[in-house]
Amino acid sequence: MDRNPKPTSILESLGEEIIRIVAPVSICMLLVVLLVTVLDANSSSDSSSLTTIATIAYNEDTSDSIWDKLKGALLNSLVFVAVVTVVTFVLVLLFYLRCTRFLKLYMGFSAFVVLGFMGGEIALFLIRDFSFPIDCITFLLVLFNFTVVGVMAVFMSKMAILVTQGYLVVIAILVAYWFTLLPEWTTWVLLVAMALYDLAAVLLPGGPLRLLVELAMSRDEDIPALVYEARPVTNHDSSPRPVMVERRVWKERMSLASGMGVSSTSGSNSDFNTNSVFDSNSMSATLSSATNGQNETRLVITGDHLLSEGASQLSAPLISRPLQRTNSTRVGQEEVSTENFHLEGIGLGSSGAIKLGLGDFIFYSVLVGRAAMYDFMTVYACYLAIIAGLGITLMLLAFHQKALPALPVSVLLGVLFYFLTRFLLEVFVVQCSLHLLMF
Amino acid sequence: MTVAAGLGYALAALGPSLSLFVAVISKKPFLILTVLSSTLLWLVSLIALSGLWRAFLPLKSTAWWPYGLLIITSVGFQEGLRILFWKVYKRLEDILDAFADRMSKPRLFLTDKMQIALAGGLGHGLAHAVFFCLSLLTPAFGPATFYVDKCPQIPFFLISAIISLGFVTIHTYSMVIAFNGYAEGKRIDQIFVPVIHLVAGMVTLINLASGGCIIGIPLLYFLAVLTLLYCGKLVWRRLTESRSRQ
Repeated sequence: MDRNPKPTSILESLGEEIIRIVAPVSICMLLVVLLVTVLDANSSSDSSSLTTIATIAYNEDTSDSIWDKLKGALLNSLVFVAVVTVVTFVLVLLFYLRCTRFLKLYMGFSAFVVLGFMGGEIALFLIRDFSFPIDCITFLLVLFNFTVVGVMAVFMSKMAILVTQGYLVVIAILVAYWFTLLPEWTTWVLLVAMALYDLAAVLLPGGPLRLLVELAMSRDEDIPALVYEARPVTNHDSSPRPVMVERRVWKERMSLASGMGVSSTSGSNSDFNTNSVFDSNSMSATLSSATNGQNETRLVITGDHLLSEGASQLSAPLISRPLQRTNSTRVGQEEVSTENFHLEGIGLGSSGAIKLGLGDFIFYSVLVGRAAMYDFMTVYACYLAIIAGLGITLMLLAFHQKALPALPVSVLLGVLFYFLTRFLLEVFVVQCSLHLLMF
Repeated sequence: MTVAAGLGYALAALGPSLSLFVAVISKKPFLILTVLSSTLLWLVSLIALSGLWRAFLPLKSTAWWPYGLLIITSVGFQEGLRILFWKVYKRLEDILDAFADRMSKPRLFLTDKMQIALAGGLGHGLAHAVFFCLSLLTPAFGPATFYVDKCPQIPFFLISAIISLGFVTIHTYSMVIAFNGYAEGKRIDQIFVPVIHLVAGMVTLINLASGGCIIGIPLLYFLAVLTLLYCGKLVWRRLTESRSRQ
């Protein structure tokens, strides 16, 4: 390995993994906000006719009193969370009975429905609004091709990773847009309810998501679901060496020195520049802290061998478990229950990359989209709150080293900032700005 | 007035910071995280201030001193937060240095530290521009425009964009000066930053008078250019010093 003439500082590549997750989340949120603002004018007439599982109990009317609206929203959210719980348990059961093929087919089918029907309907809205000159046959052809490529990208793992990532983000955008069409109170209470459900389902011992993840771990399999996987970070001054990455890198943890003050323990951490192979009886993985967390030398375990990659540093900072979620939306006239979508929580991919469930993308975007329906100031505030929540979740993950859901902190912070901005900040800023007073 | 005008106003306020972001900050992921966290910190300070002042708003009086009090409290609070930011940064620097030692890589260079300070300042400036200018620009994308009584020569959106540009410059570079001042222990740098911030805030009070913006805005830009030059001189001095030491 030849030496670089000038040693590169650590600032060059620190934090890259986090950015590789923050960037697609930001793009998803931005596109949902754009869609919401562009398609704004015609949403007021459609919202009353939208009947989904989320509004089955109560359909909001602007003339109802506040107490009625609150009760109705709570009822709606309870029904929704109940449906989601039941379907998740069904999923756990199916996974337990090893019906993986059925689950994968269902995943492909739901991707087809989302891209084809929901995507088609949104495209029709856009065409109508902008008077885009396109005829039926061309439109159908383009839509069909788009959908089929999307299903293949989701189904097969051999596609170019950018295509897969792009399609996953598109699916998240479409589902999030449809969620923003729900009435206002229902949306906010639903978000909080889902955050609390997520917390319960992952942390409680009987929670369905925890069961699912433990099943997957014990069987050493991947959960078949729609999950966004960021590309793993490889350090450039490494000689390319085939790294055998073991899938389950979360079996036992030896926390190596991480930036946040966790003490360094592992002795095999010492020489970084040797590529020696150690024998080890236990499987263990390294963690680096979520904030610095990258380019830590990763000890990669294959069976009983510990392969120490000095130079090639595939960082794999995060642990927890992917969680599962179901989703029900209305498509045209029929009710389609789409499942298997949203793995929530942050997990470790089979190649060591960070995985974030699609459900997280969707609910973050719903929050920001709903904030966009009020004003842009709330959008910026909620965006910052969600990103901060994501960062906090990553840090907590590095500390506690067990399954943590990604939804609660971000959503609760987002909702808090929305209400604070709407009721406190806006008056203050508008007052100051109109008098041209700034600081 | 139209989408083009709205975009124009947005770029007038944020253009230089965008180019700074793309050229310097987007290359290093850690700096992007620094920008995001300092933006969040500024937002939190703004929310705290608005919570504090909510009971008194909207200020109905035409006298200037309630507004002066508002500005003084806000600037004081934010400067206090800057010191807190510095303390957090010091701890972070130690952690990063320890991390670098473990990875057998060199410790943080002087340019690295200054880039982190720049990113922090840019975050503050970005937050200011976003919340004081961009979030009010939504009507500008529509078919009409808006004028303020006190300054009827230029549309309101343009004035706020220009003022925001001045403040973005001040925030960005005063963070570099402040961090340098705290690191070296130089009193004059440490005092320079809060004074400039306070004076800039008070200068905008001139805008309360009718037609005052004609005087207020050039004064603000004078302060912004002063900050820029001071920062440039400081950075040049430190870089030549460190280079001559090597």
